[in-house]
Amino acid sequence: MSSTSVYPTPINAFKQSKRSVLSIIVDNEPGILARIVGLFSGRGYNIEALNVTVVDIKNNLSRITIETLGEEKVISQIIAQLEKLVPVHSATNLANLSESYEAEISLVKIEFDNNEQDQKILNFADIYRSRTVQKRQNIVVYEISGTSERINKFLDDLNTIGGIKVELVRSGPIGLGI
Amino acid sequence: MDNENEFTGADILLKALKDQEVDTIFGYPGGAVLPIYDAIFGQNFLKHVLVRQEAGAVHAAEGYARSSGKVGVLLVTSGPGVTNVVTGLTDALMDSIPIVCISGQVPSHLIGTDAFQECDTTGITRPCTKHNYLVKDVSKLSETIHEAFKIASSGRPGPVLIDIPKDVQFAKSKYIPKKDISFREHRIKAGSKNVDKNFVQELVNHIKKSERPIFYVGGGCLNSGPKASQELIKLVNKTNIPITTTLHGLGCFPGEDKSSLGMLGMHGNYEANLAMNKCDLMINVGARFDDRVTGRLDAFSPDSVKFHIDIDQSSINKNVKVNFHTNTDITMTLKEINSFIESNNIELEKKDYINWWGQINDWRKKECLHYEQGEEIIKPQHAISKLYDLTAQKDTFITTEVGQHQMWAAQYYKFSKPNRWITSGGLGTMGFGMPAAVGAQMANPNSLVIDIAGEASFLMNIQEIATAVQYKLPIKIFILNNEYMGMVRQWQELLHGSRYSESYVDALPDFKKLAESFNAVGVRAKNISELDDTINEMISINRPVIADIWVDKKENCFPMIPSGAAHHEMLLSKYDKENPENQEKGKVLV
Repeated sequence: MSSTSVYPTPINAFKQSKRSVLSIIVDNEPGILARIVGLFSGRGYNIEALNVTVVDIKNNLSRITIETLGEEKVISQIIAQLEKLVPVHSATNLANLSESYEAEISLVKIEFDNNEQDQKILNFADIYRSRTVQKRQNIVVYEISGTSERINKFLDDLNTIGGIKVELVRSGPIGLGI
Repeated sequence: MDNENEFTGADILLKALKDQEVDTIFGYPGGAVLPIYDAIFGQNFLKHVLVRQEAGAVHAAEGYARSSGKVGVLLVTSGPGVTNVVTGLTDALMDSIPIVCISGQVPSHLIGTDAFQECDTTGITRPCTKHNYLVKDVSKLSETIHEAFKIASSGRPGPVLIDIPKDVQFAKSKYIPKKDISFREHRIKAGSKNVDKNFVQELVNHIKKSERPIFYVGGGCLNSGPKASQELIKLVNKTNIPITTTLHGLGCFPGEDKSSLGMLGMHGNYEANLAMNKCDLMINVGARFDDRVTGRLDAFSPDSVKFHIDIDQSSINKNVKVNFHTNTDITMTLKEINSFIESNNIELEKKDYINWWGQINDWRKKECLHYEQGEEIIKPQHAISKLYDLTAQKDTFITTEVGQHQMWAAQYYKFSKPNRWITSGGLGTMGFGMPAAVGAQMANPNSLVIDIAGEASFLMNIQEIATAVQYKLPIKIFILNNEYMGMVRQWQELLHGSRYSESYVDALPDFKKLAESFNAVGVRAKNISELDDTINEMISINRPVIADIWVDKKENCFPMIPSGAAHHEMLLSKYDKENPENQEKGKVLV
């Protein structure tokens, strides 16, 4: 019988932690986000990323997407706890669906000093098919979307260019099951 | 222009309470609920019980709910009124007690301005309620109240709070009766509607196969209603399977029945814990594998196939992984199991589990609840046993505070019916028992209601004696007075080298005089020769009585599974020495 002990064990819990993206449909009412965030902090779960927007005005529904880390057992418990909240219609681990898609959007502002840097930036922007939002003499703003992994890679590549300054914002992953 | 179909928010609240068949409300007035108190003044269906502090109101509502099976209702003002009930709401959430708390709030236009007696009520109570509401629009009030009652009492019950700003109490709207409201199913969380036939069949198959089965029954059985208890008794009698209950399961099955192994867990019976440890089939009926019950998880019932009936999905596989589970109401499920066995002519009687019962009867010979009552000093265990002997034939409700006396009450007082035992289990709230007795007596005016107390817990909500006196509630407070926070002292003795840091309760009041000063009655037993007469006197007086029973100051509560130990590693008496490795691990736990 495998049961996790409440007592200290040598197993590093994070070794078994998996990244999961949870998609939660809720009644759009005051306090719902606080309920969900409070559930995570109160029970010691992690929120890596969070996104919430109204998706159905007629039925007053919002979709909340949360990226979290945890063992499979923890993720199942998170879902069971979420589904106990009165305004929650459903909570789904996208990884458990046979088919689901993820995307994230990011705006990246880059300040540079010289032409060489500009060329390298342009090159990466082209490879990753980023859209130019604004370009001034020493500043460029790109919009890049795709999986979180893709955005991470773009940022890693940018960081290989010396002497530039990068500022960014990310939406966190959103996802949908088919 | 006044429309005669429109009512103020305060009147809508009263209409909704009437519609919900609420006849008792526990409360304390204040600025932000004056319009509601004005409405209460002009009506006669609702009896308001004025407590002396809001904590008393919430525990009284819990006692009322537990002893009646109805939803307990309380009314408090904004700010300190509501922060005083936070403990009780948490208590009700942990122990799944249906209560509805109405709180006043500062007028809408002052919310967020740090107004007098303003606090973020929904923010503060969000983690300690099943659900809460801030009603900003009077037209939503009727629907909100009816949904609150529905949520409080459906699925796994719990506390619900409705915060009503003062201007909403004055504002007018139509009243929508309960019958005209259609609840949205996803918000009610009532559990699965149909019995899982597969689960039932698997369970019966496993019962047939098993050699060492056991029922492990918790508070969920109580919450499913008295019929659950009847179905359980039927099933146990049919199968001859031993049954152990949690602290909250006491009373779901008659404690004196031959199939009952009594309570399990940290202070549970030797035979119950050993049977859990050695069983090959565990049938969990509405219990949640609490840490007080399981002890060390990796040694918890290692060889059993586990079935779990619990209406709360999040209780499944939370602490202990189970093999089969169902999220259906316990009454429905047990009923289906019984009729499955009957309709398929499955003969379980032949099994009898002779070896298993033989083993259990050997464990019983340990007499784990044995104590030695001397000639002079009253042993606390003996005080409870005597109380049971002298009240068993009466229509009795027992509440408790929290600590050693609570565990002794659970061990030595036997319950034959559900809803007769009202105690704070999950949260362990000292000060719970006396206000809970007030609530239980309000719900059962002709019954004998006894709060088995410790002197330290009793002091935490002692003001509620005045409530009992005002409403002529003849509750009995049976104090096992050892001048210590006994359970704290016990842990300090076992785990902290007998360094009794701050656990001696110095400067205690004279409880007899204290009772008299409140216009209640005080009685006292200083030694064994006075015990029976004192108990009989206490029972015979039809007024609130404080019985100050002086007991052995150094007595400890056994059996005990120390924190960090497993079921088979329990201590049977103070002569047992603990293994030092567990002691170190246990120290960091609670």
